[in-house]
Order: sequence, then C-alpha cells, then structure tokens
Amino acid sequence: MYLQRRARFAYFLILPAVIVIALLDVYPIIEGVIVSLQNQNQMRANPEAFVGLKHYSRALFDEQIFWYSLGRSLVWTVFAVAGGYVVALALALLLNMEIWGRGIFRALFLIPWVIPDVCTALLWKWLYGDEFGVINFLLVKSGIVSKPVLWLSDPNLAMPAVIFVQIWKLYPVMFIVLLAALQNVPKELHEAATIDGANVRQRFVYITMPFLKKTSVIITLLGCIWTFQAFDIIYLLTGGGPANATKTLPTLIYDKAFWGLEMGYAAAIAMLMLAGLLVFSIAYLLVYRTKTQAEAV
Amino acid sequence: MDGSMATPKRDNPTMSRRAVIVLVVVYALLAVAVTVILFPVFWMASSSLKPQSELFARNMTMLPVRWTLENFRNVWEGTAFPTYFWNSFKVSALSTACSVIISMYAAYAIARIKFAGSYAFSLLLLITQMFPHILLVIPLFVIIQKLGLFNTHTALVIAYTSFSIPFTVWMLRGFFEAIPAELEEAAVIDGASMMGTFHRIILPLAGPGIAAVTMFGFIRGWNEFLFALVLLQNHDLFTLPIGLASFQEEYTFRWDLILAGASIITLPVLFFFLVMQRFIVQGLLGGAVKG
Repeated sequence: MYLQRRARFAYFLILPAVIVIALLDVYPIIEGVIVSLQNQNQMRANPEAFVGLKHYSRALFDEQIFWYSLGRSLVWTVFAVAGGYVVALALALLLNMEIWGRGIFRALFLIPWVIPDVCTALLWKWLYGDEFGVINFLLVKSGIVSKPVLWLSDPNLAMPAVIFVQIWKLYPVMFIVLLAALQNVPKELHEAATIDGANVRQRFVYITMPFLKKTSVIITLLGCIWTFQAFDIIYLLTGGGPANATKTLPTLIYDKAFWGLEMGYAAAIAMLMLAGLLVFSIAYLLVYRTKTQAEAV
Repeated sequence: MDGSMATPKRDNPTMSRRAVIVLVVVYALLAVAVTVILFPVFWMASSSLKPQSELFARNMTMLPVRWTLENFRNVWEGTAFPTYFWNSFKVSALSTACSVIISMYAAYAIARIKFAGSYAFSLLLLITQMFPHILLVIPLFVIIQKLGLFNTHTALVIAYTSFSIPFTVWMLRGFFEAIPAELEEAAVIDGASMMGTFHRIILPLAGPGIAAVTMFGFIRGWNEFLFALVLLQNHDLFTLPIGLASFQEEYTFRWDLILAGASIITLPVLFFFLVMQRFIVQGLLGGAVKG
C-alpha cells in the first residue's frame, strides 16, 4: 500500500518533466519528420503540401551535395576526435603521476572547454588572421614560411584549421574522464609488473590500456556524437567555405533551411543525419549498459 | 599520497636520480603543454588590453606596451553590448529557473523511488539529451512561428528549458542518490508527508548539487548560439553570443571591440569554473558520462 502510494507519488513528480520533454523534444522530432515530407519551401505557395519522399530522394540521388557534406562531416569528426583523444590521453598520463601542482594543471587543462563557443571561434579567427594574426606573425618571423598562410581562406587548409580548433575545444572532457579512469587502475598491478621486469611500454600496453579500453570507447563515441553535430565553430570561422571545403552536414542544413528557405529539404537532410548519429548513439547505449552492469556486479 | 611507491626508490641512489630526471621531463612537458594550450586565451586577454594602434602594428609584442582598458570602455559604452548582456542574463536565468524546478522533482523520483517505467524514463532522458540541436532547430522554428513567438525571448526560454531538462535531471539524480535514505525514512515515521519530506529534508541537503546544476544550466544558456541565431531577429533582443558575432559585420575589422567583448563574455564563466571546479568535474564524471 505504502509502496503503491509512493509509486504514484513518483509519477506525480516526473509528470512535469515528461510533459515538457514530450512537447519540446519528442513532438519537435515528429514535427521534423512531417516537415521533411512537406513542400515547406518559403519561396513557393502552399508550404504544407505533402510531397512524400521527394526531399529524401533529392538528397540521396539527385544532388551531390548531401554525400559531399557527409564526407566533409566524417573527415571533420574522425580527425577531431582522434586528435582530441591523443591529446587527452597524453595529458592524462602525465597528470596521473603523484606530482606537486597536479590540481592546478588539471584545472588549467580544462580551460579551453569553458570558453564559450562564440569566443573560441572569434578568438581563433583573430589568431589565424593573415595580416594581423599572431600565428602567421610567429611563422614568418621565425622564417618557417615566407609569406602569411591563408589558414581560413585556402580551401586546402580551412578544414585542418577548423579541426584544430575543435581538438582544442574537445580534448578537455576526454582528458578529465580518462584521468579519472587512470586513477582507478590498481597501483599493485604496476608494482607487481615492475618487479617482474616489465618496462614502461609493456606496463602501458598490458596494464593501463586494457583498463582504459571501455572508458576510451565510451568517450570516443560521445566525442563523435558531439563533433558530428557541432555547428557554432565552423559556422563562425568559415561559414562552410571556402568553396564548400568545410561544409559539414550541420552547416549545410542551416544554409538550406535559413538561407535557401527550403525547410522541408533541410529537415530531410537533418533526418538522414540523425540516422547516421543513431549508429553512434546505439553503440554508446550498448557499451554504456554493459559498463553499468559490470559496475553493479 | 602514496608513500609505498617513493620509499624503496629513496634507498637506491641510481633510482632516485632516474626519478629526478623523470620529474624534470614531466614538468618540462607540462610546461610546454600549458603554454601551447593556453596561448590562445592569453592572447585574447593580452590583445584586449592593447590600444588599437598596437593591435594592428607590424611588430607584435606578447604583452601590451601600453596597458589600457579603453577597448572595454568602448564596447560597453559605444555599442549595444550592455543590452546583449542583460538579454543573456534574463534568458539564461529564466530558463535555468524553469528547468531546475521541473528537473529536481523528476530527479528525486528516479533517484529514490522504485516505480514501473523509471528505466524507460531514464532512457528517454539519455536519448533526448543526444538530439542534435541542428535537427531540433528546424521544427522548433516552425512551431515557434505558428505560436507567434518568433523574435521573442519567450521562444528562447522555451527552447533552452527543453534542452536543459534531460541533462539537469541526469545530473541531479546523482546528488540525490548520495543523500542517506535513513533521513527520509525517519521523517516518514515521524508522520511527515512525502512532499513535505522532500521539501524540508531532502532539498536543503541537495543544496550544493542544485547550486552546481543551476550554474551549469546558466552557463549553457549564456553560451548558446544556434537557437538565438535562428529565433531572434531584432538587434535589441540579441543575446551576447549572437550580438558579438554580429559585430563582425557591423564593425568590420574592429577587433578591439570583438576581443574586449569576448573577454567580458568569458570572464564570468571562467570565474565560476575556477570557483566550482571540483563540483563541475564531479558532475561531469557522475552525470554525463558515468551515470
């Protein structure tokens, strides 16, 4: 009786949250599916006319831009996440030692994560500048290049340049999670291995890495989910240009929806993007579940 | 902290010399890493404190030759920046208040009460938390337009509340779980109602957690860019992120204004981060990633 009342009480408590999530998260997704099946072109009459899968077939078969953008998105995601992971792991290994000032270094390494996206983007635009950018100033002064590099306006360099910014932005979260995981590696294992004559490399490969495996998979998947859908930094740094070199899916969707005013087409591309993200998300949920079960045991 | 590692090394002089070398190398690597990683932030601060003539000088100096706050004065007195500032403050505060109040009840329920569907509800939170904003922004734009709320702060408050609830519930759950169950059992035995127990016993104990989550929500609103970009049109309604971004067109090449503005936006966030660092790291590990 008491438990039943308590369960009813629980439903009462979660009700407001459920209503808000249903209205503002679930319903918009459904509305998104509907919009993707409608004309929804602000330039034409009758925006709510049903057009079936026309937008989807246009994206998948008629135009190159979707596949091109997907390719750009994959390059952006893979390199940024891989780069972020390498930086994060290196810093986490350094700070896993018992050294003075560890807490201070840990806080300092988290700072890029705290800087608001807009500030990050504009700040890097200032750093990358060709005439007054400090990066070019230092490169020219040290004689590495003879004239300023056009980081953001050269189609071959723009993607690496924005990826670098995303690595800077992304690594702190991976770093803090990896550091926490490293601190759970039992010290006795390392000591025993040292006594048995294992060198640093062997201890890293056979003790540390197996312990980090699951955490690494989770944090990499989360990094992919975040980076794949990231919009602000690219939009503010290059706007998808030059010559579409950085036109990832989110910038393409934004352009189609709010510049081309083709809401329906943009929504269809967004749905296709969600399908891609679902692959990452399902993988994440599966790993996450096995991890929590393993912890419960 | 761990004496067992260090003691045997001290007995052995060759080992200790190796340990010193390792330590020197580690500190050298850390110093290089800090310099490279924090240089952009240092450069933002340094640039914003330089007079315009030095910003666009042929020969750059790492620190300002003449230190000045005139860029900050110019951006605050000469542009619409203060309006953006208060708009951001208003929208962030309102949306955070809404989402924290709604979330704390739900978080308490899934943390403390066994009921059918609590797993499904947690899963719903986890999934909605992953919805890409670029996907939500199109239908929300259509819905907001239909409701006649386009170009209002209400629209932004609604949007921000919607995407911060899943995250807030998820984080608060961990804080409620950490409160000993005996406390509320005692209150129930003393005849307190369930709601009364929550409000009078549990909520005060969860104070630090709620403060941390509130801070988090506020910062998310403070930083948010895409929804503000799409849902607002009038400059006098702009929030800081889109206001600052609009400087790029409005005041071309006025990097003095842009950098001073960026510093002002970053400062409160950085301050709260440094003060609440421990909490934030805990929340990050407990809420978003580990569960």
